[in-house]
Amino acid sequence: MSHPIPQPSFKARAEAALADRTLKLAIDRTTGTAEAKRAAAVAAFPEFDAARRRGRAIKDHVIAHLDHYLEQFERNATAAGAKVHWARTDAEARAIVTRICLDADAKLVTRAKSMLGEEIGLPHALADAGIERVETDLAEHIIQLAGEAPSHIIWPAMHRTREQVAELFRAGHQPPPAAEDPATMVQSARRALRAKFLGADIGISGANFLVADTGATCTVTNEGNAELTTTPPRIHIVTAGIEKIVPSTAHAFALLRLLVRSATGGELTQYTTFHCGPKRPGDADGPEEMHIVLVDNGRTRMLGDEFREMLRCIRCGACMNHCVVYRQIGGHAYGGTYPGPMGSVLTPVLDGLAGSRDLPNACTLNGRCEEVCPVGIPLPTLLRAWRSRSWREGLEPGTLRAGLGVWAMLARRPALYRLASRIGVRALRLFGRGGWIARLPLAGGWTRYRDMPRPPGRTFMDQYRRTRAQKGGRR
Amino acid sequence: MTARDDILGAIRAARATPARTAEAIAAEAASLLDAPETTRPGLAPAAGDLADAFARKAGALGTTIEHLPDIAAIPAALRRYLDTHGLPASLAVQPAAEFAGLDWGGVAIHRDLAPDEPAALGLALCGIAESGSLVVHSGPDAPVLLSFLPLHHIVVLRVDTLLPHLEDYAALMAKQASPRNAILITGPSGTTDIEGSYVRGAHGPGFLHVILTRSTD
Amino acid sequence: MSAKPHPRVGLFVTCLVDAIRPQIGFAAIQLLEEAGCIVEVPAAQTCCGQPALNSGDDADAAHLARQTIAAFEGLDHVVLPSGSCAATMVHGYPELLADDPDWAARARAFAARTHEITSFLVDVMGYRPQGRRLDASATYHDSCSGLRDLGVAAQPRAMLAEIEGLQMHGLEGNDVCCGFGGTFCVKYAPISNAIVTEKAEAVERSGADLLLGGDLGCLMNMAGKLHRRGARTRCFHTVEVLAGLADGPAIGEEA
Repeated sequence: MSHPIPQPSFKARAEAALADRTLKLAIDRTTGTAEAKRAAAVAAFPEFDAARRRGRAIKDHVIAHLDHYLEQFERNATAAGAKVHWARTDAEARAIVTRICLDADAKLVTRAKSMLGEEIGLPHALADAGIERVETDLAEHIIQLAGEAPSHIIWPAMHRTREQVAELFRAGHQPPPAAEDPATMVQSARRALRAKFLGADIGISGANFLVADTGATCTVTNEGNAELTTTPPRIHIVTAGIEKIVPSTAHAFALLRLLVRSATGGELTQYTTFHCGPKRPGDADGPEEMHIVLVDNGRTRMLGDEFREMLRCIRCGACMNHCVVYRQIGGHAYGGTYPGPMGSVLTPVLDGLAGSRDLPNACTLNGRCEEVCPVGIPLPTLLRAWRSRSWREGLEPGTLRAGLGVWAMLARRPALYRLASRIGVRALRLFGRGGWIARLPLAGGWTRYRDMPRPPGRTFMDQYRRTRAQKGGRR
Repeated sequence: MTARDDILGAIRAARATPARTAEAIAAEAASLLDAPETTRPGLAPAAGDLADAFARKAGALGTTIEHLPDIAAIPAALRRYLDTHGLPASLAVQPAAEFAGLDWGGVAIHRDLAPDEPAALGLALCGIAESGSLVVHSGPDAPVLLSFLPLHHIVVLRVDTLLPHLEDYAALMAKQASPRNAILITGPSGTTDIEGSYVRGAHGPGFLHVILTRSTD
Repeated sequence: MSAKPHPRVGLFVTCLVDAIRPQIGFAAIQLLEEAGCIVEVPAAQTCCGQPALNSGDDADAAHLARQTIAAFEGLDHVVLPSGSCAATMVHGYPELLADDPDWAARARAFAARTHEITSFLVDVMGYRPQGRRLDASATYHDSCSGLRDLGVAAQPRAMLAEIEGLQMHGLEGNDVCCGFGGTFCVKYAPISNAIVTEKAEAVERSGADLLLGGDLGCLMNMAGKLHRRGARTRCFHTVEVLAGLADGPAIGEEA
């Protein structure tokens, strides 16, 4: 496990995040913009729903024939001159990448943002191997300066306000940026990273798609940092999850129309680049070697269980932008590589359920994530599936099990239940005055923050039975 | 067992139904692309000129557009562009055959790209009207970095290479050997990484200028 | 429209309405009868099982599903004044009992005749309230399950539009979760609080006298927060307003 769930607990991390008003401000600024832009992009694309059905069908087709497509991809990538590696686990993937770097005697590695790289713990592995790593995506650059992990899969530095970024850049850039506005700071990062791009020995990227019929990998960026990462160095390494396969370039385009609109509200990112093998003989530039590391890390296990549909995920981040919980606590509180609804499904796969059982529970099941998902992943259903597994495996806390046990015992016996509610509502009345209850033992979670309406003295069933008895009604 | 065998084995073990033939899989994959018009945006104007549709899309993304009758008019247009942006009359030029015979007048041209190259001129392989994208392929006379290092990226796009949709480009690509890099450029480089606010010129060009020509003669 | 002008409808009261606000149940009966239904309230009902279902306790949830299905056998429709309990029956029951040979088909048939009340009144019975008047302004929160799982959105608004004098105000983020989430609101109370605080702020900004909704759990959450904040917004279930009860005590007001 590359990302053991850090201490303190999820609840403590969430509370710390809730107390951080700057964090809230930063999250609101970016998710607010993202939500509005996505809505506008979808409104301007009447074919979105049909496109979504097609996208979902493409992903399901690939998932059903993953072995076929992986072999085809491997054949074509190899024919184009790339070397394809296979990694069962994050540890194997780290070892493969580190070995390539050490064999090439690499001192400086540039990296274009890849959540899979984060998932397999690549940043730490490179550091442990004594290799200088320079993150080239602006947001990754920010969090590298801050010594942090990404808090969002599209905007890894979403948790940082412009003022905080300015502070990091003043300390990390020479010369420091002259002002705090985003434009000045972007220019400062452009200057700071230029020499690194051109001086790197190896460039590492992820892949948004692996195109089976050409053997190409596809990256999408708005900044142009991927191409500056993958072109100048002698070696280009791609790390990608095996579910990133598409049959052809045309299938990739069908998914790109969904991905970009859902992520940023654009139609295409500024740069959509297919990388097929190393530079050809005579090419003006490009790497001499290309390595592609295909990573399983739990994905084949998902193929056979109730989380199979999660393999459709194209990592757009729309689910977290539209999640009420994410928007309150931000990405770091989740504790895994992937935050928000999709992260709450994936983190138990990657890091184990025992340490992450809070994630599928810390959700109101309101369904907005599924509504905006561009490939129709039933996220609430999958989160509920983790809850069932957690219950079956006895991971849910004893107090909850006991409480629910008493409730279920009553609910399974209608007559006893009616009696208990009759007594219950009367008892409940004792805790309040007027129409409200301000403090209620055993329901402190409720009354610490809000009042509880005080029930009338008689339940509906009680009143209904009495009125019917008077009227001589049935049932 | 190698990792490869294990992964492929696990995939096959998870399959509920028997594996299908490569032909059956390919047929299903092809059927998933049927009726592309139902899942892509239409062009604006709908039945009009592709150059118009391209220019509208690209313009909305911050790309500037200039129409020239032919490639011979490029040097003069470049001088105006460089002047307007207060740049010296000097430019990196892609070593493309199309640019070989041009009379550059007062513009000093060079081939090697400086790390902070102010401006470069390149040639697009084709354009895509649906998204306002330019396509460039890497090659002996087409360095990838020419599209990324300069602050001003000026691209010549022949109107007769314009394609309506992304699928049309995919079909074109399927007919030829893949280059090392096939790049769709859709507007100037930008980022929203600081508080979601959009800033141009993140790492790649902050300015993208397209010269639409009717021919390269 | 229903084929039968006078269908026999079983009212599932829901455990929250039963205990906390019985008036919603009586308002539901009144509206259903106005719409021409013959209403019955089977005594063998308790809770739809949602707390178990959402906690992962599938065995208890399935038991309650079977119990509820049996209790409502023989009735033309099952109607609930709650989108989330209705969604549990419509979507949850068939899933829970899918592998149970004796119950799978019954669960599907049960789901097919189960409805959230406002959508039942409008879509099945073609009902509109008549001769109602309420001089007040109101805003409406779309509870998530009703909205996304059952498509409840236009129906309550169509009926509220028939009430003379009632002025509807828009609610910013009307389709965003209020942070209730069943047991979520006590298990992750600080997060729930942060969410409902934003909801209460939006309700207050709407300037409406009344906040209406179709799920008592969400209403209790929002009403309790609004009251704790000292807001004067009065909260009602949609059916209470439709039944002409909005001049009486709101949620948290004593008769």
